[in-house]
Amino acid sequence: MERRQVRHFDFILLLLALALVTYGALLIYSASLNAYPGGVSGLDHPLVKQAAFAIAGLGIAFLVAWLDYRIFGQMAPALYVLALIMLAAVLVIGDSAYGSRRWFTFAGMQIQASEVAKLLMIVALARFLADRQAQMQRLSVFLLSMGMAALPAALVMAEPDMGTAIIFGAIWAAMVLVAGAPGRYMLVLAGLLMSAIPFATLAVLGEYQRDRIGLWLNPNADPLGGGFNILQAEISVGSGGIFGKGLTEGSQTQLDFLQTQTTDYIFSVLGEELGLVGGVILLTLFTVLLFRGLRAAQLARDPFGRLVATGIVVMVLFQVFINIAVNIRLLPVTGIPLPFVSQGGSSLVTLFAAVGLLEGIVLRHRQIEF
Amino acid sequence: MQPAFALIKALVVLLFGALIVQLVHLQVIRGDEYARQAEINALRELPIPSARGLIYDRELRPLVQNSARFSATIVPGDLPERGETAVYRLLAAALGTPAAEIQAKVETSIDKEGEYTPVVIKQDIKEDTALVLMELEPHAPGLKVLVEPARRYLPGPALAHVLGYVGAISPDEYKQLKEDGYRLQDVIGKSGVELTYESLLRGRPGKKLVKVDAAGRELEVISERLPVDGANVVLTIDLEMQKQVEKILEQYVGPQDNGAAVVMDVHTGEVLAMVSVPSFDNNIFSGPLSERDLAALVDSPAKPLVNHAIAERYPPGSTFKTIVGAAALQEGIATPSTTITSRGYILVENEYDPNVVYPFKDWAALGPLDFYGGIAMSSDVYFYYLSGGKADEGFRGLGEERVARYARAFGLGEPTGIDLPGESPGLVPDAEWKRETLNEAWFVGDTYNFGIGQGYLSVTPLQMASAISAVANGGQLLTPHLLKETRDSHGNVLQKIEVKARRKVPVDPGYLQIVTDAMLQSVTRGVAKPAAVKGLDIAGKTGTAEFGAPRFDGSHETHGWFVGFAPYDDPQIAVAVFVQRGGGGQEAAPAAAQIFDYYFHGPKLAAKPVLSEVEGPEEGG
Repeated sequence: MERRQVRHFDFILLLLALALVTYGALLIYSASLNAYPGGVSGLDHPLVKQAAFAIAGLGIAFLVAWLDYRIFGQMAPALYVLALIMLAAVLVIGDSAYGSRRWFTFAGMQIQASEVAKLLMIVALARFLADRQAQMQRLSVFLLSMGMAALPAALVMAEPDMGTAIIFGAIWAAMVLVAGAPGRYMLVLAGLLMSAIPFATLAVLGEYQRDRIGLWLNPNADPLGGGFNILQAEISVGSGGIFGKGLTEGSQTQLDFLQTQTTDYIFSVLGEELGLVGGVILLTLFTVLLFRGLRAAQLARDPFGRLVATGIVVMVLFQVFINIAVNIRLLPVTGIPLPFVSQGGSSLVTLFAAVGLLEGIVLRHRQIEF
Repeated sequence: MQPAFALIKALVVLLFGALIVQLVHLQVIRGDEYARQAEINALRELPIPSARGLIYDRELRPLVQNSARFSATIVPGDLPERGETAVYRLLAAALGTPAAEIQAKVETSIDKEGEYTPVVIKQDIKEDTALVLMELEPHAPGLKVLVEPARRYLPGPALAHVLGYVGAISPDEYKQLKEDGYRLQDVIGKSGVELTYESLLRGRPGKKLVKVDAAGRELEVISERLPVDGANVVLTIDLEMQKQVEKILEQYVGPQDNGAAVVMDVHTGEVLAMVSVPSFDNNIFSGPLSERDLAALVDSPAKPLVNHAIAERYPPGSTFKTIVGAAALQEGIATPSTTITSRGYILVENEYDPNVVYPFKDWAALGPLDFYGGIAMSSDVYFYYLSGGKADEGFRGLGEERVARYARAFGLGEPTGIDLPGESPGLVPDAEWKRETLNEAWFVGDTYNFGIGQGYLSVTPLQMASAISAVANGGQLLTPHLLKETRDSHGNVLQKIEVKARRKVPVDPGYLQIVTDAMLQSVTRGVAKPAAVKGLDIAGKTGTAEFGAPRFDGSHETHGWFVGFAPYDDPQIAVAVFVQRGGGGQEAAPAAAQIFDYYFHGPKLAAKPVLSEVEGPEEGG
C-alpha cells in the first residue's frame, strides 16, 4: 500500500465503530450483573468475550482494508457458495434456541451463519451486478440478481428467521437500484408484492410467524409466556423516561425481567437505564456511521466497490431499525442483533470485516493528488 | 450525488425518525405509566406464615412438634447453561437416584410446567441429607431444598383420634376460608383437636412487601407485619393414663374388632383418657400417603380411622338399667324394697289374640329380687316390670314415653358437645319415632327391650360416661371436654375452660344414691364382680348387648359394656368401656378394673385378673 493512500484512511468511521462497541460494552456489563454479580472476574464474562471478539475483529478489519478489496470480487463465486453451505449447514446440524435454528458449532465456536452470509452475499451480488453494468436494463439481469438474493433468503427463512430474510431483500433492492436497474422494475415488483400480501400471510408465513404477529398485536394474550418479553421490553424502555434510571440501576434489567438482554434486547437495557437521551445518542452515532459508509460508496473507484459499500450500509441500517423497532413494539419479534452493540462474535467480526471493506474502498478511491 | 444515495440517506432519516417518534411516545408521553408498571413488577406482597400452636397434655407433656419436611428439587431455569449434568451427578450421589432419572424428570417437567417450577426429585429426604444439600446450594445453581412445615405427633397411635391431623387445604375449604386469609398452599386441621381448635392453633399470618426479581426470588424486605403465632393448647388428657388405657383395652379387643374407653372427671367433665382401638398413626398424614395405605386403613373391618368412643353408636345393654332404675324410683314405679321374682322369663299375651304368647327371657332364674338385687344381678325380668309393667298382675311400668324422656334427660340421643368433630347423637326411640321411621305401632315388647337397653336404643361410649358421671355427681349432666386451657408461647395462661353443665337430671340425689348403692353391690356381690379392685369401692354396671340375627341355638352375638365410677363414697372418675363382640363381665369389667387400679393405685399395669370361678351362665342383655 502506498503512503499517500494511508492518509485517506477514514478514522471517523473506525472511531464510530469503536464508540458503538464501547457503548455496547457498558450495556453488556450492566445487563450481565445479574448472572455475574461480581462484575468482570473471569474469562467467561460476556464482556471479556466481547472485547476479545472486538480485538479479533479489529485485526480482521485492518487485514481486509490492507488487501485490495477487488480480490474479494474475484473470489465472489466461491464466497457465494460458502454462504449457501453455511446456511444449509445450520438447517442440518444447527443448534436450536427460542424455536429456531441459527447456529452451528465449528471448531469449537458457535457460528451464527446468517450474520456471515449477509456480507458474503453482498460481495457476490456486487460482483454480479458490477460485471453487468451495461446490461442493467435487461429484465434477465434483474431477475437473476433477485434469484441470487432469494436463495440465501429462503434458507434463512427456513430457520426460521424472517428478519434476516427481509434484510437480504432490502440489501438486494438497494444494490440493484444503485447499479442502475430501471425504476419501473422495482415499482412492478413492489406492486406484485403488495398484492401478494394476503396470499403470503396464509401460504408463506408459518404458524411460528403468525403466532409472533398475533402476540405483537396483543401480548396480553399470553403475558407470562410468549407475550412476556414483548411486554417487559416495552415497560423497560418506557420506564426509562427521558434520562433513564442510570447505568446498572434499571429494575427491569437488574431483576431479570428481560430475556436475552445482552443480545436481541440490549436496546431495552439502554432505554431503561439511559433513557431517551441515550437512545438519541445511539441513533446519532449510527446515522454518522451510515453516512460515512455512503461516503465510501460515493468515493469508490469502481462499481464493485460502490455496490459493496451500498450493501453494507443498507445491511447495518435495516439491522438497527428492525432490532430497535422490535424492542419498542413497532415490529413483531424477530431475532436481529443490534450492530456493534449486541453481544455476539459472528456479528461483531462480520461487521468489523465490513468496516475493513469500507476502509479498503476509501483507501483506494481515485482522487487527484497534488 | 446519485439519486439512489439520496434515497438511502432519506431512508436513514425516515426510519430513525420513526424510531425516535415511538421512543418519545413510550418514554416521554407514557413514561410515568411504564415507570409504575416497572415498580409493580418488582414489588410483591408475600405472607409470613405463623407457627402453629403446640398441644400439651394436662401435665404439660408435649404431644406435637413442629418440624420440617425436606424435598430435594431442581429449578430448571436456574441450572448452569452447560454444567447441568454436574448438578445432576451431585444430586445423584447425595440421594442415590440415578442421574439419568433426574435428567428425565427435569426434562419432562420443563415441557409441562416451564422453566421456573421446581421439579421434585425426592420427597421426604433425611434431615442430614437435606443439610448437606443446603450447603451445596450456592455451588450448584438450580439445586433447591424445599422446606415445608410438618406436624409430628409424638404419641402416635395412642392419641391419634383425639389429636387428629393436619393436611393440605382442600378446594372447598379454601373457598370458604379464603376470607380469613387462608392460601391454597396452607395446611389446615382435618380432624380431632387439630380441626376443632384450628382457629386457636393457627394464629394470624403476617405479610411483607418485598422486592423480587422476575423469577420471584426475594431480594429485600421493604415493610412487614409480623405474624402472631398460634396459641398453645393444653388438653385434659393425661398421656400416661391414655397410653395405659390403650394398652389395657388392646388386651380385651379381638383383632377384627374395635373397642373404646373413656375416663372422665365426674365433677368437671374433663376427659382424662379417650381411647379407640384399633388406632392408626396420624403421622402418616404428614407425609406422602400412598393410595394403597390409605385404602387399607379405610377398608379395614375394625375401622381404625373412626373414633369409636364418639362416632359410632351401639345398644348399651344392661348399663342402661341404671337410668331406667333412677327413673322408676323418681316416678314412684319402684322403691328400694320393690320385690319381683324372676323365674327366668315372663310371658306376654298378644294384644289381639290371647292364645298367642311371647316369652321374654331373663339370663337366669334369679328368684325374688329387691331393687338392689335387680341391678346387682342385672335381672332382665326386674326391668321388664319397671319399664313395661305387667298388666295381668296390675304392675304399672314407666312406659316407653317416660323411659325415653329420662334417657334424653341423661344426655342420650343428643351429642354430648365434646370438642371433637364427628360426634354421633345416638338414638333414643319412642312410639312416635317408630311410627314415623318404621311405620309400625309400638308394642309392650318394644318397651321391655327398651328397658334393658336393647332394641332400637343406641349410644356412644362417651354418652354413657357422661350419663354415669351425672349419677356420680348428684345429677349434673356435664359437657365432656378435652381443652383444659390455652397458653401463649411463654406459658402464660390465656384462657381456662370452665365447667359446663348441660342440665340437672330430673332425679332426686337421694334416688341417685340408691342407684349408686345398687351399683356398688353389683361390683361387690353381683354380675360386675370382675370389675372389683382390692382396696377400692367401685360403683359399676356391666352390659352385654345382643346384636344381629340369632344364632342357630337362639343366642346372639354380644357387645360388652361397663360403666362405673369410684370411689363409691367420693366419686372422682367415671369409666365407660365398650368391647365390640365381647361380654360385659368377661372383657369390659376386667378392663375397667385395670383402669381404676391404674388411676388410684399408681402407674403399674394391674395384671389381667384370672377369673377364679365361673359364675354360672353369662348375664343376659
